[in-house]
Amino acid sequence: MNQEKYNPTAITLHWLVALLIAIAFSVGHYMADLELSPWKLKVFAWHKWVGVTIFVLVLFRMLWRASHTPPALPAGMSKLMKNLSGLAHMAIYLLMLAIPLTGWLHSSAAGVTVVYFNVLTLPDLVGKDKALSSLFKEIHESLNWALLGLVILHVAAALKHQLVDKDNLLNRMRW
Amino acid sequence: MKYIILSVVLVLAALWSLGEATASGIISDKSSITFVGKQMGAPVEGRFTRFDADIVFTPAKLAQSHARVSIDLSSIDLASDESESEIKGKSWFNVAAFPKAIFESTAFRALGGERFEVSGRLSIKGITRDLVVPMQFHTVAGVQTAEGSLELHRSDFKVGEGVWADPDSVAEAVQVRFKMALKP
Repeated sequence: MNQEKYNPTAITLHWLVALLIAIAFSVGHYMADLELSPWKLKVFAWHKWVGVTIFVLVLFRMLWRASHTPPALPAGMSKLMKNLSGLAHMAIYLLMLAIPLTGWLHSSAAGVTVVYFNVLTLPDLVGKDKALSSLFKEIHESLNWALLGLVILHVAAALKHQLVDKDNLLNRMRW
Repeated sequence: MKYIILSVVLVLAALWSLGEATASGIISDKSSITFVGKQMGAPVEGRFTRFDADIVFTPAKLAQSHARVSIDLSSIDLASDESESEIKGKSWFNVAAFPKAIFESTAFRALGGERFEVSGRLSIKGITRDLVVPMQFHTVAGVQTAEGSLELHRSDFKVGEGVWADPDSVAEAVQVRFKMALKP
């Protein structure tokens, strides 16, 4: 079956962002329970750098997506499934922006400025406020669990297309 | 009635003298002590919410001027509960053994205009160091205010020992800013 693919830029962005999210999520999950130590400070800094990278890549991805028509969905899909798929993708995009943003807010409210790769100082989004900082931390974590749920749905749906519907949907995301 | 008035006057007088006796010399809610350190190259700000100061400052009588500032180190407001409890611990301030940081002036020098220089001794964690603090003395919203900033090196006071001594994770230099609104 020959089908239209995403363009190479979109494909690269998809897999790169997926990889970075997997790293940021795992590191974030690991560091949350660490005892305070110089190592923890290092890991937090790295986590923030990955998060900022994701944020920038996702902004670029959204611009790219808005200016390039994606390949059509398989003809066999019902209207409802197409709509649900659209909703799920929109939710993933929103979370990919909201998660780094709430992490940044959490850091700003803690009084810790984010300095990207120790070079670029990002503006503090809010003033120091410890209570606000823990609130953003909670939101940041909850949104991550929501994203994990959607990613599981995303992967399950792709596998269902591949293995059950056999419409070779995965091919669209291959280089 | 006479007795009521008398007792009210007495109570007020007692309160007044109590207020005088505990007067800190500064207006707490208009005064501040904040600081900025760096962890992993990123600025981290914090402040102390409880401090007391006894300041007598008259630009025309510098020889009679003096300042004593005492900071309750356990009142530190930092990034999180976790970092606050860490910094109160033995490797950092060790507040159980050394609850206060104390600055005591030894001399004032006029630098011209509103600018002055205060020499004094700062004690943190049982270590006393001489230092010179530049300050600006001016009137902010009708209140005489002394403001300034200084750079401290945490290792001078053994603040951050053991694993925390490494300046790559937490920088040596800490910028401290103070603002003391003097009681009239």
